[in-house]
Amino acid sequence: MWAFLKKDILVLLRDRTELAVLLLMPFILIVILGFSLRGLMAGNTEALNMQVALVQNDDEQAGITEFTEQLETLELQEQTVAGMAAAAEQASPFRTLQMMLASPELAEMISVEEMGAAAARDALEEEEVVAILTIPENFTRLALDKMLLGTGPGTELALTIEDTTSTRADVFETLISDFARALNFETAASRVAAEEGISLEGQGAMELGGLETTSSGEPVDSFQYYTLGIAVMFVLFVSANVAGNTNVERNRHVFDRIMLSNRHPFMYLGGKAISAAMIAFTQLFILFFLSTLVLQAFEWDSLNFWLGMALVSAMLSLCAGALAAFLTTLTVRLNSDAITTVFSGGIVTIFAFLGGSFIPLTGMPDIIQELGNWTPNGASLTAFLQWVQQRDLAAVTDPLVRIGGTAAVLFALSLALFPVKGAN
Amino acid sequence: MLETEGLTKSFKGKKAVEGVSLYLDKGESVGLLGPNGAGKSTTISMISTLARPTSGDVRLNGKSVVKDPSAMRSVLGVVPQEIALYEELTAHENLQFFGQIYGLSGKPLETAIQHVLKLVGLEDRQKETVKTYSGGMKRRVNIAAAMMHKPDVIIMDEPTVGIDPQSRSYILEMVRRLNKEEGLTVLYTSHYMEEVERLCDRVYIMDHGSIIASGTKDELKRILSGEETVWIELDRAYPELFAELKMNEHIIQAAETEKGIKLIIPKGKRMLAEIFQLAERHQAQILNVNVQTPSLEDVFLHLTGRKLRD
Ligand SMILES: Nc1ncnc2c1ncn2[C@@H]1O[C@H](COP(=O)(O)OP(=O)(O)OP(=O)(O)O)[C@@H](O)[C@H]1O
Ligand SMILES: [Mg+2]
Repeated sequence: MWAFLKKDILVLLRDRTELAVLLLMPFILIVILGFSLRGLMAGNTEALNMQVALVQNDDEQAGITEFTEQLETLELQEQTVAGMAAAAEQASPFRTLQMMLASPELAEMISVEEMGAAAARDALEEEEVVAILTIPENFTRLALDKMLLGTGPGTELALTIEDTTSTRADVFETLISDFARALNFETAASRVAAEEGISLEGQGAMELGGLETTSSGEPVDSFQYYTLGIAVMFVLFVSANVAGNTNVERNRHVFDRIMLSNRHPFMYLGGKAISAAMIAFTQLFILFFLSTLVLQAFEWDSLNFWLGMALVSAMLSLCAGALAAFLTTLTVRLNSDAITTVFSGGIVTIFAFLGGSFIPLTGMPDIIQELGNWTPNGASLTAFLQWVQQRDLAAVTDPLVRIGGTAAVLFALSLALFPVKGAN
Repeated sequence: MLETEGLTKSFKGKKAVEGVSLYLDKGESVGLLGPNGAGKSTTISMISTLARPTSGDVRLNGKSVVKDPSAMRSVLGVVPQEIALYEELTAHENLQFFGQIYGLSGKPLETAIQHVLKLVGLEDRQKETVKTYSGGMKRRVNIAAAMMHKPDVIIMDEPTVGIDPQSRSYILEMVRRLNKEEGLTVLYTSHYMEEVERLCDRVYIMDHGSIIASGTKDELKRILSGEETVWIELDRAYPELFAELKMNEHIIQAAETEKGIKLIIPKGKRMLAEIFQLAERHQAQILNVNVQTPSLEDVFLHLTGRKLRD
């Protein structure tokens, strides 16, 4: 087994491009994302303090009334009508927006002032505000139609930004687009809930905005977030890479040589798993140290803190090993070079999105958050974030168990599926 | 010690190898000769237990190895047609790995590495990555890797393809020594007739998936004992002349070569005059004529009507 392990590690270390992909690229991404999205994280809100002008061209109450009256004319069950009317009243888009902007995290960094259109223009030109948010005419009515009934053209929030290079304007823009997107996500959910006549109170509104990274404890800043998010994502590439060498070994017929040596194929598989795990662990720590060294992402001095990081990293690395074994198994079993290509070209991206490597998941629909929690990278990102924020082992056991479970399942599948008899 | 019986392999219904029966005695050097696509590599991968025959059997000392390949694998060294090495690793690291997976370690491992490196003459460059080697050097490490576990039988699948003449004769000499001096049993695949003539005691000739002739070199050549080979060197190609020669009822085989035409004619028949007349008629300028006793190449030409390499 040691021979296989050493070979796999040596092969990877000799491959400069792969090393660059596995170490340099994530670090560059961490730096870029960390800087450009610095405003988005609760941890460094102090840096941002922005005035925003709000121009209200819509009559919210009239919109709600119109919508409710319209409901009467549709052939809907009484219960449904009542539910929708309640939804319109409680979760009207404008009100949701206001609630979002008034949420503690945001209120700290954004102050909104309602103005007339002309005054807002002036304020923008004078740079008294960084952006104008315009609520168009009939906004409430059109948005409700779209959200609750799925009819009509929908509507758009208009955002006017003078200086497009300003980070603060960027942040605000991201925020509003997130909000708009979230509303669309909400559409389906609201409609179902309304038809069943369930009150929407408290639902939706509080989750919008996507800014409260995790519930309690220390806030996370963008460098911490992206160090963790990108690192867990690139661990997946380690698995793909180690498994990808299987293709090379098959095409170059060294695989035949290995078969001829009469070693049990599980030795080969074990070599892949352990080397992937070891490389993943090393990669994680190199990234953590680099981020701490260059970006001051984490503090040096707490041994306890780093032990916790090592624990989560070890679990994730184990899972990366299992994943490498699984991809290797599929490659050999299906006799196909495409497995690892598809994995690193497509599945990693999906996992990265679901796991929240690029965009924090709070504010995403529940289903995505739930799915994300089952990806190895998503679960370990949660574990890392919990640990960074709370330093409490109890808070990370749940995701750790999930990662361990995933690893066990992948290992079991690999052992069950790997063709032990090489001949065909 | 090793034999196959009626080996057949189909890929998606198409037969790549059909009914191949051959044997190797201990210490023998046997050639497997055939043009591209004849089925040599497929036969070898069945013998070496890497591919399961569609039908037929492979036996080692009388015991079938199709179901239980381990006995075969431990006595067998296989030099694949491709360079089966880790390009990123050095020759030493490659040999170390292949030695380790055969259970070697520590001092015996290092001794084995140095032994095979000496055999292929690469001791001084063992610490360089295979990537940086010439084609010939890669081929030599490719052979060395198959020798790490001291096999009794070595199967070589075209070990000299595409390399410089120097490396080639080095390898040939090495194989000859291994066979004659160390008593290794050799199955040597090639489409270079001269290699097989030089190295092997017995030869199997394959074409289109089947063995079309077999025997010692002399036995095979005796197929042509009543015939002789005539090379006619011409100043350029004369398609009409060639066509006419091919049609001639006394000429057994005719093939166009780079420099002219090669004919197999019955011995003792006075054909040269007739051939000269024909050349005259086609205004072909004859530069040289050479009459030879047959080579294995000619045997192949005789049997298939084709040259071994085109
Ligand atoms: N895996 C495969 N799938 C389908 N056809 C195959 C496969 N392997 C070999 N063949 C076919 O079987 C035939 C014999 O191939 P093989 O490689 O054994 O020939 P060869 O004598 O070794 O030729 P060469 O001198 O080119 O190496 C060829 O027609 C080839 O296309
Ligand atoms: Mg071949």
